[in-house]
Amino acid sequence: MTTPLLEVDDLVIEFDTSAGRRRVVDGVSFGVSEGEVLGILGESGSGKTMSTLAVLGLVAGHPGVMGGSIRLFDGGAAVDLLADLERLIKRRGDKPARKNDRRWQRLVFRRMKPLWGRAMTAVFQNPRHSLDPLMTVGAQVEESVRLAEPALSKGEVTARAVDWLGRVQMSDPPRVHGSYAHELSGGMCQRAMIAVALARRPRLLIADEPTTGLDTTVRAEIVALFKELLADRGRSMLYISHDIREVLYLADRVIVMRHGRIVEEATAADLKAGVGRRDPYTASLLAAAELPTGQAGAA
Amino acid sequence: MEAKAERVGLWSSGAVVAVVLLLGVVAPFVAYDPAGAVDYDQQLVGPSAAHWFGTDGQGRDVALRLLKGIEAFFLPGLLAGLAATTLGALAGAVAGYAEGWVRSAVLGLMQLIDTLPRLVFIILVCTILNPSISLIAAVAAVLFVPNIATVVRRKVEALGSEDYILAHIAHGFRPTRILLYHIIWLQCRPLLIRQATYVFGYVLFVETALSYLGDYGVQEPTPSWGNMVAQTRELAGAAPWPWLFPALAIVITISGFLAFGNLLARHEEEALR
Repeated sequence: MTTPLLEVDDLVIEFDTSAGRRRVVDGVSFGVSEGEVLGILGESGSGKTMSTLAVLGLVAGHPGVMGGSIRLFDGGAAVDLLADLERLIKRRGDKPARKNDRRWQRLVFRRMKPLWGRAMTAVFQNPRHSLDPLMTVGAQVEESVRLAEPALSKGEVTARAVDWLGRVQMSDPPRVHGSYAHELSGGMCQRAMIAVALARRPRLLIADEPTTGLDTTVRAEIVALFKELLADRGRSMLYISHDIREVLYLADRVIVMRHGRIVEEATAADLKAGVGRRDPYTASLLAAAELPTGQAGAA
Repeated sequence: MEAKAERVGLWSSGAVVAVVLLLGVVAPFVAYDPAGAVDYDQQLVGPSAAHWFGTDGQGRDVALRLLKGIEAFFLPGLLAGLAATTLGALAGAVAGYAEGWVRSAVLGLMQLIDTLPRLVFIILVCTILNPSISLIAAVAAVLFVPNIATVVRRKVEALGSEDYILAHIAHGFRPTRILLYHIIWLQCRPLLIRQATYVFGYVLFVETALSYLGDYGVQEPTPSWGNMVAQTRELAGAAPWPWLFPALAIVITISGFLAFGNLLARHEEEALR
């Protein structure tokens, strides 16, 4: 029996645009169990990044999350990030007030504060911008280490940080430890980012298109690094990508998103083997990657 | 070679700052009796080995009075620079981070202070309260808070949506630490340095202006650079050294501090690019 870690149910996210209100996530449900890797596949604008930002409590914009539940199982006790959401939305009425947005954001913030980093954290796309430009990479890993293991002495924290940089396969960890983001390549920045995230020891790691913007060879290296880190110990991960090969390589289960909805949910093994019926969109993605498409057409 | 010119500027202005700081620290330990220094046998003696910068109309050594004159603005200026940057950074952080009425209240207060004409307001305060250089420095510090708060607030607002700040939040770094360390200390330090030196220069300027005008500055016989320059009125051009050297000291110190703050800030900003 697998223990659930994250359960997202019927998530709805909307934004006001110049062309009126747009629903970017429309009733999305998914879950991640302990030790499982869930892949979310979709093109840009499919709502995959917004869904994960909602899980992190970092959706910015108006009105934002409008419905559903996001439950995190934190050592047995479930925390619903979106509890009371209905009440707040109702108060927003037809003309949502920004004041309620702020009240909502404060509420999410309070709920997320004990969870950020410990229950989950994220590696974002654009690694260079995800690192503090004015801090050495080592200092940032150390900041994570200190929060994860407050009992360590100063020397131990440094040693642990260098150790983490080695674990993400940096070629010269002590040198990288003293480097700034702008002195490193994109791939090294992403490795550093992964080290910062993992040093925080999250139960769930969210990787939001971690290879976007990297060179092809570097992408392969980063994906291989994830694979190795996952094999290392039973880590749970939410891996978001628009590259079907990456997702199939890393994930146990895959959901495919398009236009804010989930069009397909299957195990990676079934997708690879071409077992079962496929949604036409999934079939086209598989075909583009020259993988067996299975039986195309909606069930 | 722009980089070289900048380095020369940084070092020379740094030397000015270092000398002023050193003299400012030393000055209080030099014994000086302003009333007892008067010597009518030595009036308006030109610069010599005995009197480096000559003597003034009452036979007092100009060099010694210059040194003691530093005391008039040194500590108040430093404290004002420190207070203005600290308060400004905090007000900017609150205005940039908080929402709702707190933000409105801080912004409103900053705008209110910003509308006050600085020198006029300082003179006004001096006419109402007992004028002293400490009071002047305190008022100057408050008057500069909005300037500093505005640049800090813009920085906080701009960085709030940066990827790495979001990543810091996701990692569970404490919000106060993100705000005060990652944003204020790391990102705003160059501009805080610039502002602090500016406030220091301004306090010296105000002290000079008020002492020159007479009523609210440092009163004779206690020396200040401002009231030394004011002697030009009595001397009527008879001898330049009693006012020329303090005037030079004022110009060099203010421009030295401003240049140093500016170049140091730019140096830091460039190192991070």
